[in-house]
Amino acid sequence: MRGRRTKNITENIDWLLISIYAVMVLLGWLNIYAANYTDEAGTIFDFSQNYGKQLMWIGTSAALAIAVMLLDVRFYETFAYVFYGIFVALLVAVLLVGTEIKGSQSWIVIGGVSIQPAEFAKYGTALALAKYLSSISVKMDQFKTKFTSAVILLVPAALILLQPDAGSTLVYASFIFVLYREGLSGKVLIVGVAAAMLFILTLFVEREMWNIETLDLTISGEYILMGSLLVLGGLILLLFRKNISSLWRPLTMLAVVAVGYVASVNYIFNEIFEDRHRNRIYELLGIISDPSGTGYNQHQSKIAIGSGGFWGKGYLEGTQTKFNFVPEQSTDFIFCTVGEEWGFVGTSIIIVLFLGLFIRIIWIAERQRSTFARVYAYSVVCIFFFHFAINIGMTIGLAPVIGIPLPFFSYGGSSLWSFTILLFTLIKLDAERRNVLR
Amino acid sequence: MMRVYLLYFLLGVFAFAIVFKTVQIMYVQGDQWREKAENLTVKYRTIDAVRGNIYDYNSRLLATSVPIYEVRFDPNADALSDELFNSKVDSLARSLSNLFRDKTPFQYKRELVNARNQGERFHLIKRNVKYNDLKAMREFPLFRRGRYKGGFIYVQQNKRQKPFRLLAARTIGYDREGLESVGLEGAYHDVLHGNSGKRLMKKIAGGVWMPVNDENEIEPEDGADLYSTIDVNIQDVAEYALMKQLKKHEADHGCVVLMEVNTGEIRAIANLQKGSDNQYYESYNFAVGSSTEPGSTIKLASYMAAMEDGFIDLDHKIETGNGKHLFYDTPMYDSKEGGYGEISVKRAFAVSSNIAIAKIINKYYKSNPQGFVDRLKDFRLDEPTGIEIAGEGVPYIKDADDETWSGITLPWMSHGYELQLTPLQILTFYNAVANDGKMMKPSFAHSIQKHGKIVKDFEPVVLKDQIASEGTIKRAQQMLEEVVLDGTATNLRGADYRIAGKTGTAQIAREKFGYDDVSYQASFCGYFPADKPKYSCIVVVNAPSKNVYYGNLVAGPIFKEIADKVYSTSIDIHDELQPLQVAERPKIPVSKNGDVDKLKSVFDRVDVKYHLDNDKAEWVFTQTENDSVNIHERKVTPNLVPNVRGMAAQDAVYLLENMGLHVEVTGRGVVKQQSLRAGTRIQKGKKIKLELT
Repeated sequence: MRGRRTKNITENIDWLLISIYAVMVLLGWLNIYAANYTDEAGTIFDFSQNYGKQLMWIGTSAALAIAVMLLDVRFYETFAYVFYGIFVALLVAVLLVGTEIKGSQSWIVIGGVSIQPAEFAKYGTALALAKYLSSISVKMDQFKTKFTSAVILLVPAALILLQPDAGSTLVYASFIFVLYREGLSGKVLIVGVAAAMLFILTLFVEREMWNIETLDLTISGEYILMGSLLVLGGLILLLFRKNISSLWRPLTMLAVVAVGYVASVNYIFNEIFEDRHRNRIYELLGIISDPSGTGYNQHQSKIAIGSGGFWGKGYLEGTQTKFNFVPEQSTDFIFCTVGEEWGFVGTSIIIVLFLGLFIRIIWIAERQRSTFARVYAYSVVCIFFFHFAINIGMTIGLAPVIGIPLPFFSYGGSSLWSFTILLFTLIKLDAERRNVLR
Repeated sequence: MMRVYLLYFLLGVFAFAIVFKTVQIMYVQGDQWREKAENLTVKYRTIDAVRGNIYDYNSRLLATSVPIYEVRFDPNADALSDELFNSKVDSLARSLSNLFRDKTPFQYKRELVNARNQGERFHLIKRNVKYNDLKAMREFPLFRRGRYKGGFIYVQQNKRQKPFRLLAARTIGYDREGLESVGLEGAYHDVLHGNSGKRLMKKIAGGVWMPVNDENEIEPEDGADLYSTIDVNIQDVAEYALMKQLKKHEADHGCVVLMEVNTGEIRAIANLQKGSDNQYYESYNFAVGSSTEPGSTIKLASYMAAMEDGFIDLDHKIETGNGKHLFYDTPMYDSKEGGYGEISVKRAFAVSSNIAIAKIINKYYKSNPQGFVDRLKDFRLDEPTGIEIAGEGVPYIKDADDETWSGITLPWMSHGYELQLTPLQILTFYNAVANDGKMMKPSFAHSIQKHGKIVKDFEPVVLKDQIASEGTIKRAQQMLEEVVLDGTATNLRGADYRIAGKTGTAQIAREKFGYDDVSYQASFCGYFPADKPKYSCIVVVNAPSKNVYYGNLVAGPIFKEIADKVYSTSIDIHDELQPLQVAERPKIPVSKNGDVDKLKSVFDRVDVKYHLDNDKAEWVFTQTENDSVNIHERKVTPNLVPNVRGMAAQDAVYLLENMGLHVEVTGRGVVKQQSLRAGTRIQKGKKIKLELT
């Protein structure tokens, strides 16, 4: 590839990505039809139904894709901050004048079309972050860089959290991998993973009561956890630090951090989270089991996938799917339609398609000459990956039920448009990569 | 590049985790999920529509659906501790015993304690509990704690009830699952039943059914109401008269049908049969379903046949001899010892001579027996009436080429044997005679209404425009009148109006062949008033005691009793009565409510004493006393709609329009209804409708 030089842009377009995109969108459409299919359903072109509308979204997405490809490539970098500003403004607007659907105020209705600014804000954020990190003066090891990057990410994330839309907010966590690729210390990742694990551990133990009979004492699990952390931390320090006299300082710090963290997990979890969030997490962790309540979706989804078998029940033959056992099946739970009707074969194909998409994008990212394009590409792959992992994870019980769509598959105009723009901007940047001066 | 590989690695880990979990769900736990999937069945649950009511001719309720409850008790409800149960069981038993009075408190207590000890969860306390009793039970000790804390469970069912119980029960019928539908309930099932709704339900974990969608797939549509032609008052008389006479004669069963001549509408239909306890019940619709040899009532058709063919006239003489006549070697008897000798056709009919009609028919139709049969067919006696109620008996009138046709068929057929008809079919024929030849179809349904709006009106149906020539019909009517005037039914003669009709006394074969062990069927069919027929009626009493079995004595009195009652209560039959002139003290004229000054000046003018309780009152209403009028103030509060009922239109309009309302008036007289309730706040320009009487 490197050796080839062509002037014609169309030949530089990564047709593999576009093919994967087209296949996914087509499969998604067929599965949306299946998810909404009943014995009385009309044809797949019925525009009053989700599947008919999805066809409309696909058509408009194609138009958007072409538009993205026709614009001057410099447009994206030049107007990155403008995009970011517009979308942040929209996020503010949606909080003021948005329409509330299913408990979150995340929609703006313009002339009958509802759009979800949160879906597009990811795009603006990706552009802005790419633009910022590609500035010549920026070095990742500087505090200022980390701080500014954090601000770029946290502003839209916080605004989305206010809607509230916890799922879309969490997507912003995936940008941490972009920063990591650009030189962020691995320790941050480790701390992040450790914090997440500690979070889960806290949830497990906080409801337990430990009875120490010899002392005639009953202690809540979280205090046990705090104590264990202190002891463990002390032991590690003892093992790795020779100078015992200087131990007290890090030990105190460790104690403060651990106790503070456990206490704050407790606080955040019990005071800030809503019941439904808490229950979904408990359900995922197996702490509570309520298949007809909180765990209903996931339970039904597992039944759908589990009953699919190797080859599946056949297209439009899924009983779970047909009788609407799984709520939100054409949006967030589209994957279980695939699982039930196409079986293991179908789900494997989807996973392979996504893996192919991710690997291809990372590969493309690495061949970019400009930092802007590379950061942008990583942002795209991280967003896609997060959606993919969480969405499929929640349908099979690996992740809590967070309402985020599966890219290109789930029903919905806003998400399909935003994913299309995200991807095609990358394809455009990639197609013009040779015209970029290093 | 390390970092890139790490990202690839992370991707791999996630992809692997997903595949791993999918495999786990599909294969490791696959059976478990598939089993759950199978348990998740989906089914349509029927949502019953509310069944329509059946009303009588005067809109009185004949059949309606009322909720009844089955009360059960869960003596082992989770929250029912020993302590609680033991402390309350005595008072609960006492309350139950007090309410139902079917068991002693001790029996109830034993029952409840046993149920608890045996671990029952759904112990039946009582079926068919009415709503009021259920309400009372809800306040009982333990029960008042509800289902989970007190074990009180009830299941609602709808029960069809007939407020008039026995009255026309068989004709109203029933419509129960698993049984053949009967009567109007059955005939108008589709109308009454409405359309059941459907709701798609799915079974989720824990055996709970939940709806798949938010709305019913098919909304239930309530049934329409049937307004029947039955008149409960007449029905009551018919049923009671029949019952009395059946009891008197220890008859096996009997029936009465009363029909309106012009329309064929059935006003009463009673069927009673003796039960094993010697009481009488509505258990079979004899009038509609039971075809029997009618006996003498069919002679009317035989005479009409011969007259229609011009063979005889009323004054035509027949020799009936000494009361016994042999057809081939089979004797036929008249009921009078020694016979009637030579008598006229009219007389022969009046005394119901068997020999006379047998000889006439045998003489004129012997050479062409089918000619007689065809005449009966012209009278439409061979076809069912086609009523909507299921199970109508089919008439049996055999043709001359029938295998069983013999030399004595014709004479015997002529007086009501070797052919079969239902009481309703005979009545329909007589009704046609009363109706000057126009045969009406008997009908039970007047209209179908839904929410008070008529959906369908049943117009009278003509079965045959003219069953015989005008002359024949006139003669038939004369003959029928003669029966009561000077024939077999002189006991039906009355002072106020005349009845026309024919008695019938048929022998019924108890065994398959022959009439050796005989039983009788006494009947009377006719109409009244004879000069201007309004109703026709048939009475059939089957197997009365052997001492008295003649139609006039057994069936006649029932007919008379019903006719008397119907005649006395039906104003439209009577000639217009002159209202009684009673000298009365001049009354104080009726005064309308309204403006006080106008009233006062009128009362002053006609010199009526009045008493005004508030001199400053402007708007008033009046109460007329014996010799004076009390005038009370009607308070009119600004901005509130005043009560204008009782006021003249003029005053009401004046008052209301001044208050800013827009008045719309219908009718004449004083205000009966106002569309805005008195005391509600006035919105200027709002419309108020006044209904005047």
